[in-house]
Amino acid sequence: MPTNLKLVLVILGAAVLVGLISLHGLNQRVEQLGEPKTSDDRARRDLLAAPISTSSDVKSKTRIFWAAGADKTAPVEVDLELSSNATVRAKQVLHALVTDPPTPEQRTLPADATLLGFYVLPDGTAIADFSQALASQTPSGILSEELAVDSIVRTLRGNVSTLKRLKILIHGQEMDTLAGHVDLTGFFDLSPATPPGDGGRTSGKTTGASYPAQASP
Amino acid sequence: MFAAAPWNNSAILFGVRFWFLAAICLGVFAASVMFAQLPTANSPQQPVQSPAQQPSQTLPAPVQQAAPAIRVGPVIVIDAAHGGTDTGARGAGSTVEKDVVLTFARLTRAELDRQGFHVVMTRTDDSNPSYDDRAAIANAHRDAVFISLHVSSTGTPGIARVYSYLFSTTVPISPPSSGLVPWNEAQQPYTDTSHRLADILQLELAQRFTGSPAVSEAVPIRELRSIAAPAVAIEMSSVSVTDPHTLTAFAPPLVTAIARGLLIYRPTNATGAP
Repeated sequence: MPTNLKLVLVILGAAVLVGLISLHGLNQRVEQLGEPKTSDDRARRDLLAAPISTSSDVKSKTRIFWAAGADKTAPVEVDLELSSNATVRAKQVLHALVTDPPTPEQRTLPADATLLGFYVLPDGTAIADFSQALASQTPSGILSEELAVDSIVRTLRGNVSTLKRLKILIHGQEMDTLAGHVDLTGFFDLSPATPPGDGGRTSGKTTGASYPAQASP
Repeated sequence: MFAAAPWNNSAILFGVRFWFLAAICLGVFAASVMFAQLPTANSPQQPVQSPAQQPSQTLPAPVQQAAPAIRVGPVIVIDAAHGGTDTGARGAGSTVEKDVVLTFARLTRAELDRQGFHVVMTRTDDSNPSYDDRAAIANAHRDAVFISLHVSSTGTPGIARVYSYLFSTTVPISPPSSGLVPWNEAQQPYTDTSHRLADILQLELAQRFTGSPAVSEAVPIRELRSIAAPAVAIEMSSVSVTDPHTLTAFAPPLVTAIARGLLIYRPTNATGAP
């Protein structure tokens, strides 16, 4: 047998051996990578499941926007302990929006969705970081996604007056859409300049610049 | 160590050469198959099924007009949303949004073709063009109207809603110094025209689908954002119907409403420009 052929066969044999060894190692790594993600998610959920409260909390009438029929949201007045700090207050009202709908039919956000983080920038831009469940469990469709975003926007607009606009992230990432339709690459207006519920539209035209266009509650 | 091998050298060499050549042949074959499937430059506007090719999908004739020999007016870009692995809304059984809207789109194309419109579809099969791909098809025409068709997951069946894009006003769009429009803001100059078109279509749909709103809504729908033309999305409710034929029955009035709406829109918007 020529030396070259021997060499080729030895190299091929070694390559197969290395491949088999690395395949086993890769398998183990994939399994290891899967585990922390689950426990990380669980840890976040457990952490956020605890009531968000501060020493400055005051019991107050709060308007939370849940679904009122298939195509619009309407405010429901509930008593909540709310902080004077805008960031904490926003977390408290969003937590109530997800966890405390009066009836299952009024739910606008998936029950598994959690607010992973909420930040306010100096210019009044709010950044809400939701868990993956918000994107994966919101029914796909313009109407259902609009309802979900509408409830978040109007609840924040109605309860945290210092916020100007909202950016929604999913698990820390900017997403193209919520569930295939509603654009999450931009900002949602929270400015109180346009009173909530005026719909932002008159005679079929956008007038005031406020997302979203909804019928008056 | 090799002396003990049961094969002789020529057999081993033959085997090595055989597998080497086989690998090359396989590679060439795979490359040729992939090359054949690559989209061509004008593939987005590839011809679609003519009405004659869809005998099972018959429509009433809402406006009896012979197709003119010369097609004038805007290019109507019909977008069947989703496709491929993106099924869109899922209903009972095997009903999925991507299939229903493709049927709607084909029927709409057939009717608009008959009305004398120049029609282009963003997809004619189970492919899933990206948002940018769909926008690029519309933006390739100087005078286009973009209509995206959807079916919702939820809501009372038989309700039709028309949407146009709503930009946030807290982020002012600065006029481009270069004269070029940012891709993600391409819809911005057309928002008023889109609202007008959406309202015309909504009115037509409300006459055919009882319970539908009388005016359209403005919602930030991702796929409309980069369209440099009047652009609307129409969403029918919903895949939650138990009988899939109910959705098919929505097609004739939907198509009629779109055709009539575009006939109303066309004379007052000769160019489609804002």
